[in-house]
Amino acid sequence: MSLIHELESLVQELNSGLDQAFSLSEVEDLRVAFLGRKGKLAQIMQRLPELSPEERPEVGKTANIVKGKLTGMLDDCKTKLENAAEADKLAKFDPSMPGRMPWQGSLHPVTKVMTEICDIFKGLGYDIVTGPEVENDFYNFEALNLPPEHPARDMQDTLYVTDNILLRTHTSPMQARTMLKQEPPLAIIAPGKVYRRDSDLTHTPMFHQIEGLLVGEKVSLAELRGTLTAFLQEVFGPETKVRFRPSFFPFTEPSVEVDISCCMCGGEGVVDGQPCRVCKQTGWVEILGCGMVDPEVFKKVGYDPEKYTGFAFGLGVERVAMLKYGIGDLRMFFENDVRFLNQFI
Amino acid sequence: MLLSINWLKEFVPFTGTIQELDDALTMLGLEVEEVLHPFEGIKPMVIGHVVECEKHPEAEKLSVCKVDVGEEEPLNIVCGAPNVRKGLKVAVVKVGSVMPDGTKIKKTKLRGIPSMGMICSERELGLSDEHDGIMELPEELVPGANLVESLNLDEVVLDISITPNRADSLSVLGIAREVALAFDLPLTVPEYNLVESGEDCSEEVAIEIADADKCYCYYGRILEGAAIAQSPAWMRYRLVAVGLRPISNIVDVTNYIMMGFGQPLHAFDLDRIEGAKIVVDTAEEGEKFVTLDEQERTLKATDLMIKDGSKSVALAGVMGGANSEIHDGSTRIFLESAVFQPASVRRTARRLALSSDASFRFERGVDQLNCPEAMDRAAAMLAELTGATVRTGICKAEPKPWVAPELQFRPQRCRDLLGVDVEDAFCKATLEKLGCTITGADTADWTVVPPSNRLDYEREVDFIEEVARVYGMDRIEPVLPQVKRTLEARNDDCNEYEFWSLIKAWGCGLGLNEAINYSFVGHADLDLFNLPKDNRITIMNPLSSEQDAMRTELAPGLLQNLRHNLGHGNMGLRLFELAHIFEADETSDTTVRESGRLNILFYGDRFDSAYPRMASEAEYADIKGCVEHLLAHLHVGVPSFTLVEDHAWMSPAVNVVVNDQKVGTIGRINPEIADAYNAKKDVWFADLDTDVLRTMYVASNIKFASLPVHQSAWNDITVIAPITLNVQAIFDQVAATKLPLLEKMELIDVFVPEASEGAEETRNLTFRLTFRHSSKTLKDKDVDKERKKVVKSLENALPVRI
Repeated sequence: MSLIHELESLVQELNSGLDQAFSLSEVEDLRVAFLGRKGKLAQIMQRLPELSPEERPEVGKTANIVKGKLTGMLDDCKTKLENAAEADKLAKFDPSMPGRMPWQGSLHPVTKVMTEICDIFKGLGYDIVTGPEVENDFYNFEALNLPPEHPARDMQDTLYVTDNILLRTHTSPMQARTMLKQEPPLAIIAPGKVYRRDSDLTHTPMFHQIEGLLVGEKVSLAELRGTLTAFLQEVFGPETKVRFRPSFFPFTEPSVEVDISCCMCGGEGVVDGQPCRVCKQTGWVEILGCGMVDPEVFKKVGYDPEKYTGFAFGLGVERVAMLKYGIGDLRMFFENDVRFLNQFI
Repeated sequence: MLLSINWLKEFVPFTGTIQELDDALTMLGLEVEEVLHPFEGIKPMVIGHVVECEKHPEAEKLSVCKVDVGEEEPLNIVCGAPNVRKGLKVAVVKVGSVMPDGTKIKKTKLRGIPSMGMICSERELGLSDEHDGIMELPEELVPGANLVESLNLDEVVLDISITPNRADSLSVLGIAREVALAFDLPLTVPEYNLVESGEDCSEEVAIEIADADKCYCYYGRILEGAAIAQSPAWMRYRLVAVGLRPISNIVDVTNYIMMGFGQPLHAFDLDRIEGAKIVVDTAEEGEKFVTLDEQERTLKATDLMIKDGSKSVALAGVMGGANSEIHDGSTRIFLESAVFQPASVRRTARRLALSSDASFRFERGVDQLNCPEAMDRAAAMLAELTGATVRTGICKAEPKPWVAPELQFRPQRCRDLLGVDVEDAFCKATLEKLGCTITGADTADWTVVPPSNRLDYEREVDFIEEVARVYGMDRIEPVLPQVKRTLEARNDDCNEYEFWSLIKAWGCGLGLNEAINYSFVGHADLDLFNLPKDNRITIMNPLSSEQDAMRTELAPGLLQNLRHNLGHGNMGLRLFELAHIFEADETSDTTVRESGRLNILFYGDRFDSAYPRMASEAEYADIKGCVEHLLAHLHVGVPSFTLVEDHAWMSPAVNVVVNDQKVGTIGRINPEIADAYNAKKDVWFADLDTDVLRTMYVASNIKFASLPVHQSAWNDITVIAPITLNVQAIFDQVAATKLPLLEKMELIDVFVPEASEGAEETRNLTFRLTFRHSSKTLKDKDVDKERKKVVKSLENALPVRI
């Protein structure tokens, strides 16, 4: 058999070899066997010196063609197997297998609401201040125009450490603490824990408040309304209606109780034909207390009440969270059940 | 304050709906909390007329009655009441109706005789506890008519929340004034007709007031020939409707006038007043006094008393004494109407935990000018209901007559404060409607004299509030102000709120759940953690012994959360809490030092889901890695960890130290403490000081290091070390050799081979050493040379083999 014939028969030989190759390693073995340094093609070509110089170019040419063919066949087979492997991989891919999820953390709903509110006021130019939770009677009551024996002290059942030291009943002591340190104009937000001697379905002995205070020249009740309307619509949505009605706090005059249209029933008083349990059919829910800073408070901190006016407001964070997230039971806030916490991611 | 609509209508001709009234009062600051229907339960009852009444043939105590209830045939009703008799008008519940307690009345047979309904006692009518006999109703009522309508009962009652400044509204009269204002109606206060008789008695009881600042005025009237009895049904029903318990005609009248006109009154049995005088003076320190609720009270020298010639007879403005109380045989009455200092009444009432309707009103202030008139109204009513005669003249002392203040009002100031363009005329009309007298209204600076019923008008701003209230707070247009502020306020680099926010975001992002617990725990909880007692803050009036101490550590709260979660089947926990702890500190202005703490708890299952994670449980490496992660996040420096021998509640406990400063402790909760919280597995815990961390964080800054140009090379070595040798010792020894090319050393594997009998336990620690040269790429032989230095150093200094 001529070398040419031998060379050409390699094609057929590889073809039948590839027919039996079902893996990439088998294909690689065939490549080595046919095209390797000591492979079949090389062995045939070693016999080239046996030929006459006239015959050699023809054989060389044939060898190149055969080599090209073999390489092509091997590549094709390899591609075919790779494609099959990929197709197989895709066929076996199960997108519904669970993900390797990193830990999921959560912020306490009180933190979430507090952060949202503080961020709104930071955006409006307020500074955030914090202070002690155990307070003097002076900052908690006296400086806020609540002298001893004032009946308004009944509005806040107090936990005492001594006759003069108590757990702050509101975040309002931060008003006096800030004003004693700083001259107007000022705009502050004071978030924090507060305490009352009260425990039932709708009260816990500790809860969170956010206090706001703005003092300057010619600050007005209309501006208080503007500030709170903007803030409440930001938290509860632009459709929220804000209602002002007269109330009483010793440290503000005039004093205002603020209601928002019920976020459960949209102010209709009825949900799915049933009386709304959130607003008790009134269409309104109480959300915060506020007012114009009482001149007596300014006098206690050495501000001139003729020159400066200001407004203050305080709201309960848990109450906002309950309305916002539809939490029905106040006690859940302090049980820290992870099934509860994990809902506030 | 409970307000009956029917009663209100006697004071003001209001004809609108309940909803209109509710809205108007609420928007005027008298918040209607609830609309009550006190007689809903007795609505089905009808008037019956007993037309026949005979003894039951089979039962001595039962009567068989024919009762006309306006139907064709009278009903046959068997009744057990001793007072049932022919001719009575009674309250009947017919078959099929439901009683207030929910019982349905059925047709029955009593000892063989059918009974078609029930005749009611006072108890069944919700009027008293009286159940011995049936209630006898007035003659004139029509059989078959509805009972509630016939008696004109107060069917609708508003529960109104009165703020402490609105003492004027603690009466029907006070609220009627507001209703008149809101609906522009006249006041139609009921008339009364007082008939005095006999000799002038104004000298018969001498009134002496020791301190005019504690008792501004004291009026008394003498009534004689009173017959004590039950009040008529209408009055008893009315008192029940507004939440008061009917007692006797005399006491009921004093309460009725108080509810109607706001002036608390007290009736003494004049025969039990000795020495023909009333002295208003403070008690003896330690004096014992029995109030009419039969409680013995121990008094203080600051308590204001009403005394007669020889003894104390009442706690002024709070409660009468048992020794001078009206009783069944009383005929001569001394009726007191006075004004006491609010603070004094409040002090006594609060100290004795004895808040009465009287003290509630005196504490807030009563209208001094109304004081004699309220007494006269009560006297006239007593004469009518008890048959008493009212003696001519008044016993009185008024050392401190009411003087109306003269106050300033500037309409422009009002407009500025409200941000509303209210006209002068509106301000003037409003203040005048509220009973003020104005002078100088043609100038910019008015003088306003308030009425005696509005003790809350003390300053200009109080009038401004009234203008806003009447104008309508809700009509004020919102204006968003420009916040003017200085950068000075922003001098705090990172205050507690900001720093805690940063840590909370870190914790949440890392995968921890934020918890919030009460700041107080029980002393017992702190004791369980073996915490010192001398630095604790105790709460004087705790709600329970479980909340009687401010926490000096956050751990008890988080362990309670662990117990709660385990009880609810939550088996893997990663909680964190940021809060203050509280310790006694004499140098603090609040006597308490509050410090910020971050605590982290790891327990049980490490991962929330099983697959594709390997099931595993939290261990020391988790809590330590978590803390290292935080410290890296805060850029405060590399921590070192040193074992603490005698920690109160963690073992092992490891101090976390950064730059020679302790930032906290991590470790495992003592098993016996963990056991108390039902934790069966190890509870891993971190207790970090956020005040220290914040200071470090504020001082820290990020410095960029240029990236290396040349490649690094690494080499692993395995050190066979006694199991008791700390890994840190190996790291420290390598660090001590100070190899300039050694960039990094990491522990990459630990293997503990089984020790052969008697041999020392060892572990194989594999470290990866990474070397780098700043100006060339290292070759294998360079690395080998460095490695040999490490091996030599370790073998020389430590009991290890490589």
